[in-house]
Amino acid sequence: MGVVVQAKGLNQTIRACSSSRVTHLSKLDGVSEKVPFRTRSAVAAGRLAAKTSQRLGKGEGMVVGGKVALRLSPKAMTDLAGDRVEVLVSSTNGKTSTTRLLATAVSQTGPVATQPTGANMNDGILWALANGPVGAPAILEVDEAYLPGVVSATHPKIIIFGNLSRDQLDRMNEVAILARKWRTMLAANPDITVVANADDPIVAYAAEDASNVVWVGAGQVWTSDSSVCPGCGALLARDGSIWHCTGCDRIRPKTTWELDWTAGDQGQSGTGFAIGPDGTRYSLEGLQLPGRFNASNATLALAACDQLDLDLNKAVELMNTVTAVSGRFATVKVGELTIRLLLAKNPAGWSELVDIMPPAPTPVIITINSNAADGRDPSWLWDVPFEHLRGRTVIATGDRRHDLAVRLRHAGVDFVVVEDPYAPNAQLPPGARELDVIDCAATYSAFHELRTRADRELASSRPGRDQREQGVV
Amino acid sequence: MNDKIQIVSIFPNLLGTYGDGGNLMALQHIAALHGIETTVTEVAPGESIPSDGDLYILGGGEDTAQVAAAQALREDGTLSAVAADGIAVLAICAGYQLLGHEFPDSDGKPAPGVGILDVKTDRLPARAVGELLVQPTAQIDGTPLLNEPLTGFENHAGATHVGPGSQPLAHIVPADVKIDFDPVLTLNWNATLDGQAAVGIGNGDGTEGATSNRTIGTYLHGPCLARNPELAELLLGWAAGRKLEPIREPEVEELRKVRLTAAANYDKTTQTQR
Repeated sequence: MGVVVQAKGLNQTIRACSSSRVTHLSKLDGVSEKVPFRTRSAVAAGRLAAKTSQRLGKGEGMVVGGKVALRLSPKAMTDLAGDRVEVLVSSTNGKTSTTRLLATAVSQTGPVATQPTGANMNDGILWALANGPVGAPAILEVDEAYLPGVVSATHPKIIIFGNLSRDQLDRMNEVAILARKWRTMLAANPDITVVANADDPIVAYAAEDASNVVWVGAGQVWTSDSSVCPGCGALLARDGSIWHCTGCDRIRPKTTWELDWTAGDQGQSGTGFAIGPDGTRYSLEGLQLPGRFNASNATLALAACDQLDLDLNKAVELMNTVTAVSGRFATVKVGELTIRLLLAKNPAGWSELVDIMPPAPTPVIITINSNAADGRDPSWLWDVPFEHLRGRTVIATGDRRHDLAVRLRHAGVDFVVVEDPYAPNAQLPPGARELDVIDCAATYSAFHELRTRADRELASSRPGRDQREQGVV
Repeated sequence: MNDKIQIVSIFPNLLGTYGDGGNLMALQHIAALHGIETTVTEVAPGESIPSDGDLYILGGGEDTAQVAAAQALREDGTLSAVAADGIAVLAICAGYQLLGHEFPDSDGKPAPGVGILDVKTDRLPARAVGELLVQPTAQIDGTPLLNEPLTGFENHAGATHVGPGSQPLAHIVPADVKIDFDPVLTLNWNATLDGQAAVGIGNGDGTEGATSNRTIGTYLHGPCLARNPELAELLLGWAAGRKLEPIREPEVEELRKVRLTAAANYDKTTQTQR
C-alpha cells in the first residue's frame, strides 16, 4: 500500500477496500453469497496470487490478483458487479481524483467499493469489486480504451466523461477514434446517464446522442486536440468558453451544472464554485486538492451526486477531506530530498500543473519515462509549454531524460541531467537541497517508482512495523 | 544566399498532433545556430498559402483532418506550384501521405492527395507503432542527400508505395545492427534486409519516406528534426541557398546515441528493449 504522509483525511470506508485488509480474511469471505461459485473460487485463487506477490515485494498484488481471477472465471467482472455499479469515471486526465472525490462523497450513504489506487484496467476493476465491502455500491475509474468492455460487463447507472486529449497515442490511437467507440458504446446502452463536460468538444461529441446527459461546464484549458469537429472535420471556433463548429450545427451544449473559477495570482491558489441546476453555489474553497482541474473534477463529481439524490452540502464537506489521491500531490521523502509528487503525463495535464508550481527561480524535478503506461513515444514533450518554466533550473531525470533535455534546450530553460537526483552525491542546482519541499512532476510509471521508493525507505526507517499497517492509499 | 527565411507552417491546427510543433521549434532553433533569421507564417484552413515561403512544413493528423487538409491544398494549388519550383517542403506522417496521389480516408476508401510526391498509400495489415531506425539512401546526381542514420517513432497504418517519379528517403535498418560511436556515429551494416527483423515498418516494403525535387515526406516523428539535425540543416540549407556545415549540440548527440542504441536493441515482438 502506498504510504502517504498526508493520509489523515481519508475516510474509513475507502480504507476498507484495500487489498491488505482482505488478505487477512479467510478464503471465500468478502464475496457475496449470490456470486457464482466459479467466480468465488477464482477470487480466492486471485487472493493467493496477490498475497504471494506482496510477500515477494512485487507490489500491491491487485493487478496480479485480478488477472488470475479473470483467467479462471472470465465472467467474474459481471458476476461481481451484479447491479451495484453506480458510477464509472473515464477521462484522459483527472479520473483517479474524480473517482476518489466522488467515492468519498457517496460514502455519506455507507461503505463504497472503489479502487484504492489508480489501477483502472480490467484486472484492477475486478479486484476493487472482489475486495470492496460486500454488496456496497461501486464507484470505479476506468481506462478510456477499456471503458466499452467494462460498461458491457458492469452495466453502470452513470458514466462521467471528463475530458479527452492526446495521451499514450501508441496505445489509444487518436482521440476522435476513441470518441467514436464511446458513441457506439452509449448507443448499445441507452439506459445509462452520462455526466459529461460540455466544454470539451470531443467529450460532447461522444455523449451527444445519449438519451440522458447531464451537461457540466467543467472547463477546458487545453484546446489543441479539439481544433477540428470530430463529427464533420470542419474547424471549431471559440468565443470565450463557447465553442461551435464552422461546418455543422454542433455547439457547446447548454449546461445544467457549471464551474465558476477565478484564478489566483502566480503561485496562489484560485477559488471556485460549482453552480447547480437551481442556481445554488457550492463553494469549493475548502477542497484540499489544488488547482482549477481539481475544482473541475469536484464539479463533475457533485453533478453525479445530484443524480444519485445525495445531500450535496454533505458531499462537498466530504470531498473537502480528500488530501492526496494515490500519491498525487502527496509530500514524500525520497533519498536525500522531500518532494511534492505531481503526476504529469500529457500536455493537457502539464498545461495546468505549471500554474500550481512555485514561481521561478525555484528549481523543479521532471521525470520522464516511456514505459507502456507512459506511452512509448515521448514526442508529446514538444506540445508542453515548458517555456513557462524559464528562469529556473529543471532537474531532468527518468529514462527519457535526454529527450527532455533537448526539449528544454529548445525552450530556453536551464537544466541539469541527473540519473538519480535523490542520491547523496547527486549534482543538483544551487538552492535545490535547501528547499523544504521540491516539486517533482513525473510520468505515470516514474510516479509509481517514486511512491514505491518512498514507501520502502519509510518502512525501513521504522523497523518493527508492518508496512501494510501504515497509512493507506 | 538568403539569411532571412520564411517558414510556412501549413494548417498546424489540422496537422499538428504527435508533437509536430517540435519540428518548427527545431527549425527556428537550428537556424539561429547558423545565423539564419526566421519568420514563421502559420496558415489556417480557409486562408491562402503564401507563395513566397522558403520552406513549407506539414505535420501529422487524424484521418478527418487529413482529408480536409488535402482538399484545401488541392483547391489552393500554391503548395504544388512552389514544390515544382524546387522550394523545400517537409511533410510528416499524415502530411506525407496527403502529398501523394491518394491515401485512405477514415473508412479506408482512397481519398485524393495533392500529388507532389509520386507515392500512393493504402493500409498496412496492422498499425505500425514503435521505434524507427533508418539509413538514408536517397541521392541527387549520385551524391547522398543525407549520411547519418535517422531516428524517430512511427505511429501510422499506411503502406506507402513509392513510384518512379520519387525515390525512397531511406531504408529500414535491420535489428541487431552494430553501431559505432567513435569517432563519429556510423552504422556497421551491410544492406541485406532479407529475412532479418528490422527496426520499424516505414513504408511497409523495407523503405521509409520519399523524396523528389526538394520535397521530403517521412513517417518519422520524435520530433523528426529535433532528433535528426542533419535533416534540419539540409532543409534550412535549401531554404537559405547555401550548404550548412554541421553544428552539433551535446544534448542532441547524447539523445541520438541513446535512441540509436535503444532502437538497435528494440524487440518488435515484445515492444521492449532487449
